[in-house]
Amino acid sequence: MLKGFQTVFVKELKELVRDPKILLGMLVIPLVLFPVLGLVLGYAAETAQEQAQKATLLVVDNDGGNWSQTFIAFLSTSMKTVVINNTSPQQVLAQDLLAPNNSTQFVEIPAGFSANMTAHTSGNLNVTATVNVYGVFQGGGIFSDIGSSGINVLVSGFNRYIAPDLVRTTQSTIIKGEIQTGIDPATLSGLMALQSFALPVTIMIMLTYSMQIAATSVAMEKEEKTLETLLTLPVDRFAILMGKLSSTIIVAGVASVAMMIGYNYLMGSMTMGIPREVSVDLVTLGLVPSPFGYLLLGISLFITLLSGLALAVIMSAFASDVRGATAMVGYIYPLIFIPAMALMYLDINTLPLAIKAVFFAIPFSHPIIAAKAVVLSDYATVVFGIVYVAAFTIVIMYIASRLFATEKILTAKLKFRRGFGKKQTEPAD
Amino acid sequence: MSLAVDAKALVKQFGNIRALDELSFYIKSGEIYGLIGPNGAGKTTTLRMISTLILPTSGNVEIFGLDVVNQAGEVRKIISYLPEEAGAYPNLSGWEYLEFMAKFTKNTESDVKQAINEAASISGLGDRLKDKAKTYSKGMKRRLLVARALMTRPKLAVLDEPASGLDVLHAYHVREIIKRYVKDYGVTVLLSSHNMLEVEYLCNRVALVNKGKIMVEGEPQELKAKFKSANLEEVFAKVVGYA
Repeated sequence: MLKGFQTVFVKELKELVRDPKILLGMLVIPLVLFPVLGLVLGYAAETAQEQAQKATLLVVDNDGGNWSQTFIAFLSTSMKTVVINNTSPQQVLAQDLLAPNNSTQFVEIPAGFSANMTAHTSGNLNVTATVNVYGVFQGGGIFSDIGSSGINVLVSGFNRYIAPDLVRTTQSTIIKGEIQTGIDPATLSGLMALQSFALPVTIMIMLTYSMQIAATSVAMEKEEKTLETLLTLPVDRFAILMGKLSSTIIVAGVASVAMMIGYNYLMGSMTMGIPREVSVDLVTLGLVPSPFGYLLLGISLFITLLSGLALAVIMSAFASDVRGATAMVGYIYPLIFIPAMALMYLDINTLPLAIKAVFFAIPFSHPIIAAKAVVLSDYATVVFGIVYVAAFTIVIMYIASRLFATEKILTAKLKFRRGFGKKQTEPAD
Repeated sequence: MSLAVDAKALVKQFGNIRALDELSFYIKSGEIYGLIGPNGAGKTTTLRMISTLILPTSGNVEIFGLDVVNQAGEVRKIISYLPEEAGAYPNLSGWEYLEFMAKFTKNTESDVKQAINEAASISGLGDRLKDKAKTYSKGMKRRLLVARALMTRPKLAVLDEPASGLDVLHAYHVREIIKRYVKDYGVTVLLSSHNMLEVEYLCNRVALVNKGKIMVEGEPQELKAKFKSANLEEVFAKVVGYA
């Protein structure tokens, strides 16, 4: 065996295992992170299913024949249905008939449905009947199309009961109150899901990277023993803090702009995973943020980065070196990872109130929520997020400035042996 | 007689540890005053308190009549502190580091330049000042930091182990510089050191500190005579009951 390997290995292992900060980061956080994420996803899936079961299916019968009655009767065995007659899809939207029925989709049985059914069942197998399915686009999420896939299953069931491939469906999506004929909500959800995956991942990388930089800027001063000298100079302590934050803010600002450019490109050009025959142009569909939307999203990102940086500076004040600071900011990561990973799959609007409130309370959720909201022109949610995160940032900055103004910036350390989270001070000499 | 430092009954408590225990002393303007004592005696805590880095639990210190707690901003304008284990910014050159530091105390470009030139002369680093600090040896870094502490000609220089890490010749050079600054510019110096010879050579008066208290204070010659000792090392050993 390699001479000395075992000695070095054992020493390294002792050092790592005896560092509670590393242990916490490496073991406890992943052990908490994934179960929490699992719980959130499980709960959300359950809730989405419950909501789909509770939802009423609006059926617009523009045929009025016997077969349409049979079809409606079949649907009613599995779902609660409300039937209206002789109404065009546009009128359904104009009269706002979906919301009172707690529904996000409706099925139109067009005129001629019964005639076609009769022709088919009389032996003319070339004739098929069609029903038109309309679904409201809600911003994407893995459980958002549970309802529409349910209708497809029902139609297949009806066909099995009568004749194979007899009834066909056409899919249309309602986007921002307008019907986009031929756009399948499932395809659109798939496309948007790809984008809702890309943005949180990029935000996670950007936040964690910038926070590492901010944390090391104070820790480096401690490690290189320059902080003491700096603090005895005739300069306002707040100026030192702001100087440190500003340099990281510039980095964060450049990162935000770069991200907006990249995201714009992604939104405009992403066609991955879409069948060639299906032409979905997000720009035409209005599912690309407006310049104002981009501006708000940029501000949301920037302000969130700022809050993260200020938080990182505070956390790093409790570390004596760069390694400690890096481990220290690791405690913030679950607050970044959990909302980012959860909101990759979930639509915040479909979540139960308690979980929704938790996500809204975490500042790092807001750029991800904002990214979906600007697509749907829901600017109020974005502005709320900006105001909330700005208030959070001001509080954090105030705490950071207080910390810099006292001797705690030099002496404060987290002592794990005497109980996690308990601040202790240490003598210098 | 104007007092540069007037420390009265200083106490510093860190949790259960009493780092300073009713410590009092004064320094006259233009004096070199040395704090000597073992590790953990409270020397660095005293220097940090005088440099406005940490607050006394009780007691008070005035620097040229300015209170270190209530007038910390004013105190920082007239002092210069050199920590024992101070470092320089690794990615700045020696020149850039001096410029960065000088800009906090000097208001005009010409004053900044003058301070840097003075620091260049004190440090004796020459062209190496153009190199990044991370390429410096420990001794070179210390020379840069001593030069930084003195280049602004502060009214009070607080130097924690000024010659720490320097070889014999450079340590000698630094001591000469400190003496010259006191003589030529009227700088008052408060220093701490483990090196008794250095203290004996430099200081007008010294205080022997142990367990946060001043055990004995006076001129080096006076203390040696009083304790019938050949040097301050022996004085210290007798004071703490080791010899």
